[in-house]
Amino acid sequence: MTDLQESPRSKPVGRLLPVVLGITVVLALFAWLVLPRLRPHQFSGTVLQSEVPAADFTLTSANGPVSLSDYRGKLVVLYFGYTFCPDVCPTTLSDVNRALAQIGDEAEDVQLIMISVDPARDDPAKLAEYVEFFNPTFVGVTGTDDEVRSAATPFGIWYEAHDEEGASGYLVDHVATLNVIDREGRLKLVIGYGTGADAIAADLEYMLR
Amino acid sequence: MLSRGWKVGLISFAAVVFLAVGAFVVFQPVQVLPRVRLAPGFTLTDQSGESLTSEDLRGKFVLYSFTYTHCPPPCGDIDATIQAVQSRLPEVELYGNQVEFVTISVDPDRDTPEVLAAHAADLEAGPDWRFVTTDNPGALKDIVGGGFRTFYEQQDDGTFLLDPGFVLVDGYGVIRNEYRYQTVSPDVDRIVRHIGVIAEEVEKSTGAATLAYEAAHLFLCYSP
Repeated sequence: MTDLQESPRSKPVGRLLPVVLGITVVLALFAWLVLPRLRPHQFSGTVLQSEVPAADFTLTSANGPVSLSDYRGKLVVLYFGYTFCPDVCPTTLSDVNRALAQIGDEAEDVQLIMISVDPARDDPAKLAEYVEFFNPTFVGVTGTDDEVRSAATPFGIWYEAHDEEGASGYLVDHVATLNVIDREGRLKLVIGYGTGADAIAADLEYMLR
Repeated sequence: MLSRGWKVGLISFAAVVFLAVGAFVVFQPVQVLPRVRLAPGFTLTDQSGESLTSEDLRGKFVLYSFTYTHCPPPCGDIDATIQAVQSRLPEVELYGNQVEFVTISVDPDRDTPEVLAAHAADLEAGPDWRFVTTDNPGALKDIVGGGFRTFYEQQDDGTFLLDPGFVLVDGYGVIRNEYRYQTVSPDVDRIVRHIGVIAEEVEKSTGAATLAYEAAHLFLCYSP
């Protein structure tokens, strides 16, 4: 149609076409598969530069005493909640469970520990039954009022019981963050409530590398 | 074997990456304060007898200090430092962020809300300066000793051994800097400048700039 196509130079272009197409496909595949991996991971949680290990605690689970330092070498996801918790705790615990399912085998290196902010009503057996409903690997711990407060304070966890009209008993307001402690025992990541399973999984997977 | 062209290309690419990282570290296009650790969670009682919790302060910058009203000189320097920071705060752009001042007394036996209220009145403290404590000594030790890592211990004569210090906390409840073993002027300069640095990070670390700020945290572009 045009002069250019009918000119003798069009022959090499025609032979080069498969090569050019091939290179284009390879480049596109590279961009599609490799470039997203080169992009730095953006955490959904807040990253801390803690240089010393997080404050240790020893509390009671259904299987005996549990310390944070027992889990050096694993990632610990620390959560403060209680078994009478109407919706925030179940949502968060099932989000973590779904995140661990997404991570797959490497999730063996992640340990969730829930510390009760309602030690008056949560005994170790009841806590174990509650957390294992969400995931059989989850551990629930409690202690005296003083022990729980001492464990919660350094993680920025404020909590307070209040009577709820119409509700049986009382509710406990509490900070609903997930605190992620790295393999060396340092608090590295604080994940806010409502972050969602996918984003939790992405952050944990990056920390597992 | 790579051709000469490839070698030159690879070496130039490596050089560009090296220079870019080097320039970032040397020129520090953005400066940040490290996220040191979490500030403690607490419920304390202020000079009006009202409760003040760590959650009430979420979303605001808070400068914490630790003292007690019967503290002999030079303890007064601690309050003077707060006053100096307050008077110099207009020097920095806060981008609408609120700054609160919380002074925690380590002497709840003598520092009742009435005593703290009188002390606040002496200092002509405004509503953004709260004087707080708790009559639960275990909780106080967890908060001040454990959370803020500020040592105190009462002596037989009623005075306290106390490491003076200031702790700057951001709106996420994260400790961004601690100022210790100095009292008046050098700390005031740094505290005022640092409040400006965290306000700027809150304002500017959105979208693509978030990456630059997170990189600054990684490459330790810390504001002195």
